[in-house]
Amino acid sequence: MTGTQAPTAAEKRFEQAVRPEKPFNWFRLIVTAGVVGGFLIGALSVDANWPRLTEMPGELWNMAVLMFGELDLADVPDAAESMWESVAIAWLGTMIAAVLSFPLAFLAAQNISGRVSVGVTRQLLNVPRAIPEIIFAVALIPIFGLGPLAGTIAIGLSSTGTIGKLSAEIIEGSQRGPIEAADASGATTLQRIRWAVLPQVMPEIIAFWLYRFEINIRASAVLGVVGAGGIGTMLQQNIEFREWGTAGMALIVVVLVTIVIDTVSGMIRRRIIRGPKTKTSSARDTRTDAMF
Amino acid sequence: MSQVEHDDAGPPAASTAPGAQRPKRPRPSPFLVGGFAGLLAMTIATGADWEFGIGFSLIEVWDGFTRSNSPMRGLAEIDLGSLLGSRARDGFLETVQMAVISTIAGALVALPLALFNSKLGAPNRVAYALVKLFNNIIRSIPDLLWALLFVAAVGIGALPGILALFFFSIGVVTKLTSDTIDGIDHGPVEAARASGASHLQVLRVAVVPQVLPAYTSFSMYCFELNLRASAVLGFVGAGGIGAVIDFYRGQGQWDRVWGVVVGFLIVVIVVERISMALRRRLL
Repeated sequence: MTGTQAPTAAEKRFEQAVRPEKPFNWFRLIVTAGVVGGFLIGALSVDANWPRLTEMPGELWNMAVLMFGELDLADVPDAAESMWESVAIAWLGTMIAAVLSFPLAFLAAQNISGRVSVGVTRQLLNVPRAIPEIIFAVALIPIFGLGPLAGTIAIGLSSTGTIGKLSAEIIEGSQRGPIEAADASGATTLQRIRWAVLPQVMPEIIAFWLYRFEINIRASAVLGVVGAGGIGTMLQQNIEFREWGTAGMALIVVVLVTIVIDTVSGMIRRRIIRGPKTKTSSARDTRTDAMF
Repeated sequence: MSQVEHDDAGPPAASTAPGAQRPKRPRPSPFLVGGFAGLLAMTIATGADWEFGIGFSLIEVWDGFTRSNSPMRGLAEIDLGSLLGSRARDGFLETVQMAVISTIAGALVALPLALFNSKLGAPNRVAYALVKLFNNIIRSIPDLLWALLFVAAVGIGALPGILALFFFSIGVVTKLTSDTIDGIDHGPVEAARASGASHLQVLRVAVVPQVLPAYTSFSMYCFELNLRASAVLGFVGAGGIGAVIDFYRGQGQWDRVWGVVVGFLIVVIVVERISMALRRRLL
């Protein structure tokens, strides 16, 4: 567009065109106000020592320097032994939860059990799901004393809820066909479960047990904070007494062992769900892949 | 066990065709055999009473639960009145405050991190690798361990709890949101690029609007997680309702401990229901 030439019709139209106004979004305003307001009200009313926040970055840096600057390889055997105890707690806890949740899952599955049984079992499984492991652990320590037994049972009880609920959902997702076939050939409820349901759901349920074992390792690594065995005790005491080098080594062992077990267990889970490599994966397999 | 009775279930088929032979059962696969052997070996190694096992015994478990003990006596005479006391009220208030502050702050930081944590949103490979490494380290440290570290850094109280939940939220929301970004529709991104948008503009107009509902949903889910986690942070001195539970436990008042735990359960379940209803509408 030059000033000397008369603008063409198209150019005129372009100049006159106005951008449509953005519609005012009440919803966005309300959400923004709620989030900002909630944050401000929370931050101003909470009894937190905010001035110390400014010291936080410096303190964290100091801690990191002390932790990873004073690493001593002599701490490795201790840390490894405690971590093995954590792994043992997680494994046995998962096994307890698997045994307890297995029958409960069938009682909570709508396509196997009646309405009353489903309702009652679902509620029963909801309670341990909502209570953190640490609370189970502190309640079990007066019963079993300080040590790994309290931690193992705490992990077992609290995982029962999650494993039971997910197993029930897996069972509900099983295909009707084999169940109808079993019914048609006169199977009892137990026979129907054994021949029509179990072969369908076992791979997914076992894979979920393994997945839960991975999560439980993280949980059992901190259970020692309240004295329920494992590497948590070592972490807590060394941080409390400012033995930063030892605490740093324990931290490294926790992170490394967690990553290694995650990787191995993930490989086994994929093999369980997908089957041997030679087989082509079906649509059902991709669904379960997305789950993990 | 309540079972559905099937009246139409007839007797098993009595006769099979003469000469028909049942096919041989295939042998179990080596993977199955190995898996069960591994499972058994692991269970025995961890459970047996030897140098590397914890000496698990069912008799001990049975004895423990049947013996008279204070936590279970407290559970029988649970004191719900403890919920009305000022101590429990302040604890619950602090727990909610901690969860609100840390979730909002954590989720705000997590959105840019989530963009950088996906191949599509990262400006270059270096930023991608750095953010990914940062996020993996953050996520591998459990929330209670964060609390331990921050109690050592800034002293006891609500502040270390807020900081612990803040870092925990960053890890959770970043991971979930960046997984969503990997799966978005590339059409709008290409359209924005074709009309000459800079990288930031692409993120603003083509990526963020697509993941916003999922991101909001993950942030609310994270609020639920934080609420739950805040019940345990008090055990290491990081404030919240956990500090109240730890106080009553130290006094041996198990009836009150269970009262507070029940109150906590109700709060968690109510918040979970509301949040799930809202999240279902979002997605």
